[in-house]
Amino acid sequence: MGDILSTSVSGLLAFQQALSVTSNNISNSSTPGYSVENIELAEQPGVGTGGGFFGNGVDVQSITRSYDEMLASQVRSSQSSYSSFSTLSTQAAQIDNMLSSSSTGLTATLQSFVNSLQSLSTQPASTAQRQVVISQAQALTTELQSYQSQLETQGSDLESQIGTTVGEVNTIATNIASLNGQIAAASGSGQTPNQLMDQRDALVDQLSQYVSVNAITQSNGEMDIYIGSGQPLVTDGSTQTLTATPDPNDASESDIGIAAGNGSVTNITSEINGGTLGGMLTTRSQVLDPTVNALGQIAVGLATVMNQQQAAGMDMTGAQGKPMFAVGGPQVLPSIANTGTSTVDATITNLSGLTTDNYKLTYSGTAWELQDTTSGQSVPMTGTGTSTDPFVAAGMSIVVNGTPDTNDNYVIKPTAGAVDGMSVLLTSPSQIAAASLGTASAATANTGSGTISTPTITDPTTWTSGTYTISFTDATDYQVTDSGGNVVASGAYTSGSSISFNSEQVSISGTPASGDTFTVGANTNANSGDNTNVLAMAADLNSKVLDGGTASLNDAANNLVSGMGVLTQQAQANATAQQSVNQTATNTRSNLSGVSLDDEAAKMLQYQQAYQACAQMIQASQTIFNSLISAITSG
Amino acid sequence: MRISTATFQNDAVSQMDALEAALQQTQTELSTGSQIQNAADNPIGAAQVNQMNVEVSATTQYVTNSNLANTNLGLEEQALSNATSIMQNAISLATEANNSALSPANRADIATQLQQDLQSLTSIGNSTDSAGNYLFGGYSNTSPPFTQSGGTVSYNGSDQVIQVQISSNQSISGGDTGATAFMNIPTGNGTFTVSAGSTNTGAASIGGGTVTNPTTYAAAEAAGAGAYTISFSDPTDYQVTDSNGNVVTSGTYTDGGSISFNGAQVTLNGTPAAGDSFTVAPAGTSSAFSALSNLITTLNSTNLNNGQLTTQINAAVQQIQNSITNFSNVSASVGARINAITAAQSTATSVTTTLKTNISTLQSTDYTQATTQLSSEELALQAAQESYASLEKLSLFNYIQG
Repeated sequence: MGDILSTSVSGLLAFQQALSVTSNNISNSSTPGYSVENIELAEQPGVGTGGGFFGNGVDVQSITRSYDEMLASQVRSSQSSYSSFSTLSTQAAQIDNMLSSSSTGLTATLQSFVNSLQSLSTQPASTAQRQVVISQAQALTTELQSYQSQLETQGSDLESQIGTTVGEVNTIATNIASLNGQIAAASGSGQTPNQLMDQRDALVDQLSQYVSVNAITQSNGEMDIYIGSGQPLVTDGSTQTLTATPDPNDASESDIGIAAGNGSVTNITSEINGGTLGGMLTTRSQVLDPTVNALGQIAVGLATVMNQQQAAGMDMTGAQGKPMFAVGGPQVLPSIANTGTSTVDATITNLSGLTTDNYKLTYSGTAWELQDTTSGQSVPMTGTGTSTDPFVAAGMSIVVNGTPDTNDNYVIKPTAGAVDGMSVLLTSPSQIAAASLGTASAATANTGSGTISTPTITDPTTWTSGTYTISFTDATDYQVTDSGGNVVASGAYTSGSSISFNSEQVSISGTPASGDTFTVGANTNANSGDNTNVLAMAADLNSKVLDGGTASLNDAANNLVSGMGVLTQQAQANATAQQSVNQTATNTRSNLSGVSLDDEAAKMLQYQQAYQACAQMIQASQTIFNSLISAITSG
Repeated sequence: MRISTATFQNDAVSQMDALEAALQQTQTELSTGSQIQNAADNPIGAAQVNQMNVEVSATTQYVTNSNLANTNLGLEEQALSNATSIMQNAISLATEANNSALSPANRADIATQLQQDLQSLTSIGNSTDSAGNYLFGGYSNTSPPFTQSGGTVSYNGSDQVIQVQISSNQSISGGDTGATAFMNIPTGNGTFTVSAGSTNTGAASIGGGTVTNPTTYAAAEAAGAGAYTISFSDPTDYQVTDSNGNVVTSGTYTDGGSISFNGAQVTLNGTPAAGDSFTVAPAGTSSAFSALSNLITTLNSTNLNNGQLTTQINAAVQQIQNSITNFSNVSASVGARINAITAAQSTATSVTTTLKTNISTLQSTDYTQATTQLSSEELALQAAQESYASLEKLSLFNYIQG
């Protein structure tokens, strides 16, 4: 009887606890991060008798949770990837949206500027048309600067989000560390603290949204968290702190670092991947910085081409054309850790060699070395760095003065500051240099039918305003003499081919007679209907002046827009794909660890029935006892 | 395989989310009429659309350029036509004057009428366009290119003319300089001029002459022949010498007969006196204005004999004819340029149409396809929603009594 009672009572208690576990499962069926708990029932050890071993009822061994570490890590890694691409695609979509308008976008505004120059070419002395050119130049400047300002705002928002995210990561890490302690203490009792572990897993899941993590569970129940390429964030009950500190070269950008116990910070910016943090860092280096640089490259191209051509022409006041645009020069950002006394200056000297990458100039101890920080490649430089023999690379001339110490470095951004410093310098319509600096005429006494074109100045810096005479020694040979009678050029004549001297070019067509002369000198007609220089401006803007002669300004603008479109589209596609992978992984984990209400309903019925049966058994044992007692007392 | 309650719900919700997003995208396409909202929607298509828009804009600009050029070229053609009329009037006046019966006073009257013609021609040379710019000044189009001083009209404009870009690879001259139209006109018959000696006393005059063999004439000039002199030792015997004094040919002359030498042939009319001479000189250039002013001087002079008078009037008429030929040549070139503009504009129109069609193909929503897509997406979403609603109700707990 005692056996019946004790075994039934053990059953009763066991099924009561089983029902309690089931009710807990049902209550937590919608709790995120909850792993289904299972009651582990085991048979009590049996008692041996002469008639056989009798069982002693049932024992509750433990409550375990359905959990698989591998499934969990798959969910986390796909979550990190998804968050990273999702961040990238959202950020990129903002820029894609900004650049995408076809009717008012950059390519349309550039073309309007070219059109205004074309219109001016048909009426070069028209003040109204000249004003239109200046207005279009200003419109172009305004648009570029509005893009720049949106990018800068997005950039500074990104930096503050990076800071916030780093704070979140640290908070979660601290909480994980404290749970580690609690779990280790609770595990000492021999049972697994399921609720604490679920809590900790939920935190690690949350962490994986912010950054890719590697979670390793130790034998004592503690979980170590590693980020980046193996940097420990939580180990042995202690936390390292993730830091977002200003980059030594550029205080407006944050570097991600990990602070060790002794306070030293290791820069791990390039090791961080995955999660929103990884997505934000990728946005900064692959989307924001290149876009800013590309806009700058277009601005530099526009200014260089227009200013050069202005200088080859004469404006309506009779003066040599002045520069039309100002743009910001290359940014040179010394590291705050530099200890030497050197200074570095960079100017853009080769438009076609400009890239949209950023660079770092470092003193190795023996020599200055240039590295492309966007691609990671080292860039060879020619020259020695003095002002008479500067370093030449990537379209720039770099001059270094003073004495550097080893590892002193400078970040150089050739075009990032161009748009911020952009402005239209011409204030009056008369300042547009539509006419050539030179003029040419045929002598009235000429008997041949030769006609001479307007001179084009090929190098305004070396051109002089002297008078030159082209004389035909016979019908097929010419000689060019300066005002002192010195012969500066000569050759055989072919109609239409150009004659060069004094950094200018003219061409003669038709049939000059022997003895015919032509005079080439400085243009003195300020009100001239000469439109050759403004036609040249329009032609320059359509010619391939960028990227080693492969792209015009329009091409560069179009490539920027479509490049951003491709990047955004890819990021969106990747995000969608990763979302689907994450969904599958989550489902797989959920199918193992999630509550199935139907499951719990069935178990509830099962345990309920078993409980009722045990209760009946207890009643039966009571009946037996009563029978026994009444049998004894009645005798 | 075990499915947790959460899996079932999450899957259903995310599928409905995806369908809603697709539906929203299709709806945007329908309401904006554009398939490409952002470059990310179709990066390559967006780049192509951008490029084509730029081309349309540039082409439209070239058409604008060429319209302006067209107007001015039309004005130039009109001016040349007016100039031709004036010169034709001058020829009829000259023919009238070439009558030995006229008195010097009569000739002076004709000279006065010709002076009017000269003024008119100068005004035409100084024609302006609607903006007040001088058509024939070349680059120097803000002040009159032709100025008159005494009997001479000189050209002060430039030697170059504005170039107008009428298409991406075609530029034309927007006009012609005054020098080309009015000043650099070949004299004589283009190869040589004829004149009568100033001391001639006979009644012979010399006609314009022809080049019977250009090669021979040019070779003789290259060898230094220069101007030839036909001298009459008596009314029937002549000798032709070159500028170096070499005798080239000699012969006898009859009234109306021709004299040939070195590829040149001239005809004389009337009887020369002994000692008379005539010059055959290589041609140069002269202006349309000087053709008239020379004629005016000739008609106003009082000491020319009939022979000299006839010669000079004939030479002037030839020069006026040369001017008319020059106007006609320049006019033909203007006409060719106007044709080029018309052709370029016609090409521009068809190119623009093609581009706009292509832009529309890439960018515009295909309404038929989009509407169909909308219906099928709507259907799918409805099905997802209905199926979720009905499956969601299934639970074992519904069947547990008590």
